[in-house]
Amino acid sequence: MRKFVAVAILLGCAALAAPVPGARAAISLEKCTLCHGKPEFRKLLVNGAIRDVFATEDSLKGSVHEKKVCTDCHFDVSEIPHREHPKRVTCTHCHFKGNKEGAPQSDNVLAYFDSAHGKAIAAGNTKAPLCQDCHGDHQILKVKDAGSKVSRFQVAETCGRCHMEIYARYKTSIHGVAVAKGVAEAPSCTGCHGEHRIYARTDPKSTVYPTHVSEQCSKCHASIAIMSKFGIEAEQVATYNESFHGVANKFGSRTVANCSSCHGVHDIRPPDDPLSSVNPRNIPTTCGKCHPGATANFAVGKIHVDAKKKESGIIYWTATFFKYLTIGTMLALIVHIFLDMYGRTRRLRGEQ
Amino acid sequence: MSKADLAAGRVIRMSLLFRVQHFLLTMILLVLAVTGFALMYHDNAVAQAVIRLEGGVQNRGIVHRIAAVLLMANLVYHIFYMLLSREGKSEFRDFLVTRKDVGDFVQAFRYNVGLGSEYPRVGRYGFKEKFQYWGTAIGIVLIACTGFMLWAETFSMRIFPKFVLDLALIIHGYQGLLGFVLLFLWHLYNVHLHPSVFPMNPAWLTGKVTAEWVRQEHPLEYEKLKGEGLL
Repeated sequence: MRKFVAVAILLGCAALAAPVPGARAAISLEKCTLCHGKPEFRKLLVNGAIRDVFATEDSLKGSVHEKKVCTDCHFDVSEIPHREHPKRVTCTHCHFKGNKEGAPQSDNVLAYFDSAHGKAIAAGNTKAPLCQDCHGDHQILKVKDAGSKVSRFQVAETCGRCHMEIYARYKTSIHGVAVAKGVAEAPSCTGCHGEHRIYARTDPKSTVYPTHVSEQCSKCHASIAIMSKFGIEAEQVATYNESFHGVANKFGSRTVANCSSCHGVHDIRPPDDPLSSVNPRNIPTTCGKCHPGATANFAVGKIHVDAKKKESGIIYWTATFFKYLTIGTMLALIVHIFLDMYGRTRRLRGEQ
Repeated sequence: MSKADLAAGRVIRMSLLFRVQHFLLTMILLVLAVTGFALMYHDNAVAQAVIRLEGGVQNRGIVHRIAAVLLMANLVYHIFYMLLSREGKSEFRDFLVTRKDVGDFVQAFRYNVGLGSEYPRVGRYGFKEKFQYWGTAIGIVLIACTGFMLWAETFSMRIFPKFVLDLALIIHGYQGLLGFVLLFLWHLYNVHLHPSVFPMNPAWLTGKVTAEWVRQEHPLEYEKLKGEGLL
């Protein structure tokens, strides 16, 4: 019996001792917040700026890392108070393939290191963004969560923290306005540039490289399902591909006009907007970028014209006329050949 | 016509200058057709291979324009030659369309379907040759005008609105196709497949045809030559 009691006590002790790591972590969090939890606890930088180092138990609440503690990410802090400035957090500490934490992992990290941002980091540009610069630091939420810094509706603002001028232009564009209104189909930065695979527009891998632009725009603008919701024609991409511009672009010309050459890039506006680059009044200027001396005549007639559609009026009728004229001529000539040969045979036979 | 030719029963049908013009026309039209149709049917795999062979769309355009300029030079030379030279004037008169040509066409048609009893007797150029000649001439003028409009697009749009250039593009393309159809189903039949010349009328290379062929196919011309004492 005494033996049994002893075993039971031992087991009890073991059971109490089991959550030791958690307990230690909790203690560590408490220890961190001893200093970092005070709102007045700030760091004065050499340049006079104040760095906010405020963090409490609530900092991670509601985020995907809710159950993590400070040292899970700031793992280089081994003593408290830490003597050295902790290094920037490295997300790949957990987010690598086959990790035991169960942290989600994709090839996005590798894609990021190949991207313009990743290359800039590798080249030593301290201003280039790491994971946390876009995804957030303590309050990381899932992309689908509307509050996430990289969600459809927030990501432009996130990118705009560095790309300020572009953000300002984008915000007043048709796409920016639509996103702000909550239109889920409208593209934010990542809609065109991609997410982790963002390259400079001069990089042939980029989704906005001159010969890729029309393909990128066509992802939405060729879709009747999407375009019909907004009363926009879905054939613009097809008519572009059939035009001189489109054909030259398809065969690799980087100087020929693509969608954005005329419609703008971040400042795309509907044609009836007086500020739009494709507003009839602005067309001479827009076309004039490549066709010096372009006149108002450039705007007389539909630009994205489809000769196969009745709405194109005289162009459709001319094309149709020529189509049947050609078919008719072919048939008439073939008939003529047979008749002529038949007549010729009769003549050769000496028949009358 | 030399005496040796006459003795061998051969008659000159195309003089050297006409043969040179015709040969240039053939080569130029081939280049224009290859470069033009490659652009017109750019979705086609063969067309894409042709464009790559030509060194991309940019070079394709340059080749097409060089050939176009040569074609127009050929045309201008031809017009002057037809209007000013002695040989040209005579040929031009023979090429003028008369009421007889319409009658000949109807008569040939009636004969071919078995309604008439006599095939029309034509002169140096019958309705077949005249149709070919004027069809080509009008076609080339039309395709040259629209081609120029498209080449100097900014200049054209100083005068015309954009939709006129869209029309020019359509006319240019279809005119090319129509010309090609005519060359294949009319001209190549008349000078290659037609039983009287099969496999080929040699006039475009040697300039000469047999007097017997003239007697059968162009009886009025034969009689005229005979009347002039040339045969």
